[in-house]
Amino acid sequence: MPPEDLIVNAESDLALLRLLHLADTALPIGSLAHSFGVESLVAQGLLTPKNLHEFLCGFLQEAGLVEAVFCRHGFALASPKWSAELWLELNEELSARKVARESRAGSASLGRNFLSAVNMLGEFPTLQAALISSKQAVGLIHHAPAFGLAGGTLGFDENTAVLAFLHQSASSLISSFQRLLPLGQSAATRLLWELKPTLLDTAKRSLNRSLDDAYSFMPLLDGGAMEHPALTTRLFVS
Amino acid sequence: MRSIVALPECSPGPVRDQEVEPARVAGRRVRASLRLDFECEKGSNKTLLASSQQEPPLRVVRAFSAENGSALVHLHNLSGGVLGGDALALGVKVGAGAQVQITTTGATRLYRPRDHAAAATQLNEVQVGENALLEYVPDPVIPYAGARFRQHTAIKMAAGASLFWWEIIAPGREARNEMFEYQSLEFKTNLWAVDRSILVERVLLEPGIRPVTSCARLESYRTWASFYICRAGLSAADWLVAEQTVRSLLQQLSKPMGALWSVSTLPAHGLVVRCTAVRGRDVLSGLHRVWHTAKMHLHGRPAVAPRKVN
Repeated sequence: MPPEDLIVNAESDLALLRLLHLADTALPIGSLAHSFGVESLVAQGLLTPKNLHEFLCGFLQEAGLVEAVFCRHGFALASPKWSAELWLELNEELSARKVARESRAGSASLGRNFLSAVNMLGEFPTLQAALISSKQAVGLIHHAPAFGLAGGTLGFDENTAVLAFLHQSASSLISSFQRLLPLGQSAATRLLWELKPTLLDTAKRSLNRSLDDAYSFMPLLDGGAMEHPALTTRLFVS
Repeated sequence: MRSIVALPECSPGPVRDQEVEPARVAGRRVRASLRLDFECEKGSNKTLLASSQQEPPLRVVRAFSAENGSALVHLHNLSGGVLGGDALALGVKVGAGAQVQITTTGATRLYRPRDHAAAATQLNEVQVGENALLEYVPDPVIPYAGARFRQHTAIKMAAGASLFWWEIIAPGREARNEMFEYQSLEFKTNLWAVDRSILVERVLLEPGIRPVTSCARLESYRTWASFYICRAGLSAADWLVAEQTVRSLLQQLSKPMGALWSVSTLPAHGLVVRCTAVRGRDVLSGLHRVWHTAKMHLHGRPAVAPRKVN
């Protein structure tokens, strides 16, 4: 293999390793503390180990699509197209999309923690600018656009970054199910494995999609997230 | 980046006093708009329908005055429902200090379109002025088998403005067991309060492509409703108290395998209440109770249901 090809591969391999690192649910940003309404649905008896695959496919088709679109729009703001105004608007719109107070706060907590964590790993003026502009505007930073912005800044491939984001979202939810339902390691692994085609389809559907056409219809999950504060016993923050 | 609600083909024109024009018909597509402009009369503090523009089949007969000076209007669709390809628009402007209640005379029926007809569209553009109140409390929307419908709603509230706005979407003609047989329903809703975006909803239902009865969507529930309760200017702490007040009622209303009710504060200036219900009749009665509780909490006076036959 010619030396120049080795250099190219080294760069893409490094990007892959960094993406795997940032999309790992073990990244200490608090993702395992949130169920985003799933805990309420389990408490209501609406989710059981038998219908988790159906639920997760629907989740990716609806809420996952919206998050993927916002991830892509965050990605598009990476330098040289950085705009603090558009960044603030993007996050404000996602706040207005999230009707459940706890889910909105949860997404914002993960987003700020994520962006701060990445920003501490190197010199990234765009990420620094995003953190500062949101702080000055007292605005929220949501996880999906933050992940996209970091992905664009670090030179990841856009589609791969979106897939990684969706994958870690699904993985986090499955981790929630393991703590809420009798779902063993093997079943959880199979569940995530069997979601791969839906992950690919969701990423594909999000491609070139405007924010205005990012639809989601999950009334039961929204309702569960909205009523999560009223649960008497809670394992999760949201 | 900011979403713009726009259906340019049915955007209402400028408000003209008491002008009635025939609907424009292009082929079989009816384009009609209804514009209502309310003002608070100085001195009497009475709300008047100051001007209107009405194009058939959309119609308002008159504004009725309530004892507290507010105005009530009933929206009529002389076609009996929304026909395939219809492009309808509703523009409402509630002037500073005015108080308005809008309802429908019955359920909004979305009829099955002809095979090649475009989706029926409804554009709602609403402005609620300073310290004004708008209560929009319609009957349910009932989509018939094969219906295709797109609704875009943009509501802008000025400082101190209040809003009670609900929408109920039925699964279809339940009595004949026709449920989720419509082709597509699209709802795009934007709420702004004092120039801040506080709610963006984008819903697209295509039961033939993504089953509505999936456990990720409605499962065994059939009817769903959203109720936006806003008053521009109240603090976040005030809204948390309001959320708890409404939740206390919702916990009485919620019944597993009956109706599930939920409430949350919006990012600012308001609450959203949601309901998913097995039986549609549970929704309207529940919404009235939520409306009453929220109105008492926010305005210190009861909600008065609109006078109508049903």
